[in-house]
Amino acid sequence: MTNFLSVKTFNKKNYINFYLQVIALGVKMTSDGTLSLENTSFKEAIKIAKKGTHCGMCRFDFLESGVCPAGRKKGFLAYWPQGRMEIVKQLYSGKVKPTEKIKDIVQSCNFCGCCDKQCNFTTQLRPEKVARTLKEFVENLDENEFEQVLEDDIIRGLRDIVGEEWATNDPVIISSYTFTILPLDSELNYYVVMPDSTKQVSEIIKFANKNNIPYLPRSGGTAFSAAAPTVLAKGLSLERGIIIDLYRLRNLEIHPESCTATVGAGITMFELQKEALRHKLRALAAEAGAHVCSNIVTTGIISTWGNRYGAFADNFIDLTTVDDQGNIKKHSDWERDNPYSTEPGFTNLSLTPHNIVTEAVVKLHPIFEDEEVVLVPFEKLRDAYRLLIILGKRGVGLSLAVLSRKYLAEFLSPTLQISKDFDYVCKNYIKLNYVVSVICNQDDKKIVEDMVDYTIDQSLMRSLILGAPRFSNLKDSEFMKILSEEEDPLKTIFAGPMRDHLEKALDPSPENVAKVFDEDLQDFFKNVYSKPEMTDIIWLHAFRILPTRMMRQQMFMGPGGAMWTGDEDHYLNWIQMFSDMGDKLNVEHSLGFITPLDNGKFAYMEYDYYYDHNDPEVCDRISKIVVDSMEQSLVKGKVLTILNYLFKGIYRKEHVLYPIAEGISKEEQELFKELLGTVLGDEL
Amino acid sequence: MVKFLSEEWIDIGKKYMLEKLDPVKDLKSITTSLLGVVEHIPPDDITMNFYLELEDGKLKDFIVNTGDTFDEKNAAYEIRGNYGTYKSVLKGEMSLGIAVLKNRLKVKGSKMQALRLIKPLDGVIVSLQKITDEFE
Repeated sequence: MTNFLSVKTFNKKNYINFYLQVIALGVKMTSDGTLSLENTSFKEAIKIAKKGTHCGMCRFDFLESGVCPAGRKKGFLAYWPQGRMEIVKQLYSGKVKPTEKIKDIVQSCNFCGCCDKQCNFTTQLRPEKVARTLKEFVENLDENEFEQVLEDDIIRGLRDIVGEEWATNDPVIISSYTFTILPLDSELNYYVVMPDSTKQVSEIIKFANKNNIPYLPRSGGTAFSAAAPTVLAKGLSLERGIIIDLYRLRNLEIHPESCTATVGAGITMFELQKEALRHKLRALAAEAGAHVCSNIVTTGIISTWGNRYGAFADNFIDLTTVDDQGNIKKHSDWERDNPYSTEPGFTNLSLTPHNIVTEAVVKLHPIFEDEEVVLVPFEKLRDAYRLLIILGKRGVGLSLAVLSRKYLAEFLSPTLQISKDFDYVCKNYIKLNYVVSVICNQDDKKIVEDMVDYTIDQSLMRSLILGAPRFSNLKDSEFMKILSEEEDPLKTIFAGPMRDHLEKALDPSPENVAKVFDEDLQDFFKNVYSKPEMTDIIWLHAFRILPTRMMRQQMFMGPGGAMWTGDEDHYLNWIQMFSDMGDKLNVEHSLGFITPLDNGKFAYMEYDYYYDHNDPEVCDRISKIVVDSMEQSLVKGKVLTILNYLFKGIYRKEHVLYPIAEGISKEEQELFKELLGTVLGDEL
Repeated sequence: MVKFLSEEWIDIGKKYMLEKLDPVKDLKSITTSLLGVVEHIPPDDITMNFYLELEDGKLKDFIVNTGDTFDEKNAAYEIRGNYGTYKSVLKGEMSLGIAVLKNRLKVKGSKMQALRLIKPLDGVIVSLQKITDEFE
């Protein structure tokens, strides 16, 4: 019988030496075994690490600043900036002790600064400080203070499949996966394996089955990071066993003649989109850091382009999958059960993928020469929603969405404070609460412009991005207070003579926006904001590098789902329900976005709650919102909640969305509560 | 020591359920039958099946066999999974419901109907947890 846990040889004397070293660095052990901090750099490192939300933006080159060389070479999360931040947290908590491997982890970082640039753009954090502190800490430990990790039969078996360097049971490396596939309270009794082919994935699953060990695939891990602080963590995480990290499946080929791309499970949406763009093609876009294959599996790619490009199984031509017996299949195989259908009903819940998708052949779409963006500002949600659904049903536009004021403020603003002030100005002075964002060709633009009084165009959006610091300064403007008393301040500012004055007042320039970043990064950001794509709303919609700003220094949870659009009041009451819950439980909240699906017959809505994921009390409130909103949504009916969405992405949308769900009965409500009790352990 | 899937396990399981479980209170008077297919049983990586039939909350049949097929009875539901998963359920480390929702146990037939059975089957699972103390 194999010993599942790795054998550790870290004796009492080692621990004493370890903590003496920790104290020398200004880090002290408290009576409960955790570490208290006196050293400023360690204190700052912990502060930065705790704010990290595992957005994964440090794992691909979205600013053309390069990407972490250590992470690229070594693969395991521990070698990436987000992994180092997690390791510091885990060391600080006392959950993990240094191992020999940690030396390699700290030495692999050459302090190139890539991560600071990337992370600062989205979240204003400085992960390199964490890496430096970790290195300093490790280099000051004595040789005998490193825990030895012994091999067991399982790790030997996994290494036989993938090679010596691509499988590990090292607790430090494993600890870096906390929050993105492992629950916060896990005991680190895991293995991590990084296959580089579908065949290896198959062999790993067969090996896991033979040894009766559970496993779970991991790509970007961002979906789980949003669930990790909540009651959903237990259901969605791996409780022990083998983490199959799919990062090394990095095949990416564009087939211009068929407008398709072959994409391995390690490829992000950004990487796909960048390659597609070289051929004047566009992929249906999830967030930049989302991995294409896992996003297809998890939610079927929820995107503002979905009304035109499709949803669920519309997204792909073929999938290569490995089932739970290790069998490799393709959707295109002739003799197999229908892979596109799924059982209807609210009890059709799945907390893990049925199969591992190792490769997808996805559809790409032409980019037209005359594409433009047009945004229609609104004070009232009903008006914005009505326009959106009309456009969706008429098939106008390529990308269609209602974006909330909060989204605009978060996405366009370079810092947290600017986003808050930006939001304040929009709300209190110009009454800009929603925009309907339309990306379309010239013909469709004319249709939209004929339907409304005024719009915001690309030029003004560019000014708002490059002039965001100035715009937020209008918070204290007497002129804006006077403007707010106008009957229609939106019209005054966007359609009247004020528009030109506004653009001039914003003084939009890469230099001005760069000034709000840390001094040593200002030149870099001046160059970044000088690139046309950074203010090109179409590019930003397609590459989706800005949504991560929602996670700057705090977490968010975005429940919602797809609701039938046949009854406007029903839909808007549903949104109000989420708002009321946020008020009731005193959590910062806002509508995120609404986007039509299936020719406007449905619309997907995300409602966001923003909170500090380090505060257990607020995490409990978020958990309550998740559960209550799900239950109440099902009672209302005509909706597919986000929990029902999970792991349905490989099926036809017709099987997932139809028949339109009726509101559940009292008896079914009880069953749903029982189910949740099963999943959540009756914690709520 | 009662080993999972042994003859003794069947005998003690039957006795325990008949003596200790109230058909109405514990088993909600359910009438159903269930085939549990246990795959990858060590050390020889074999498959075994256990068939369990309840009528009005009373245990009517409880059978175990070895092999990839079970033809003696037609069960209303089939739940298939690894030995390790069944072991986790019987050791109380994982509930039957979460094993189904995590796709560790595959239900043949309607998931909705199967999930409706989870609560009534709690009594059976608890009984088997109490009598099983040896694996592999």
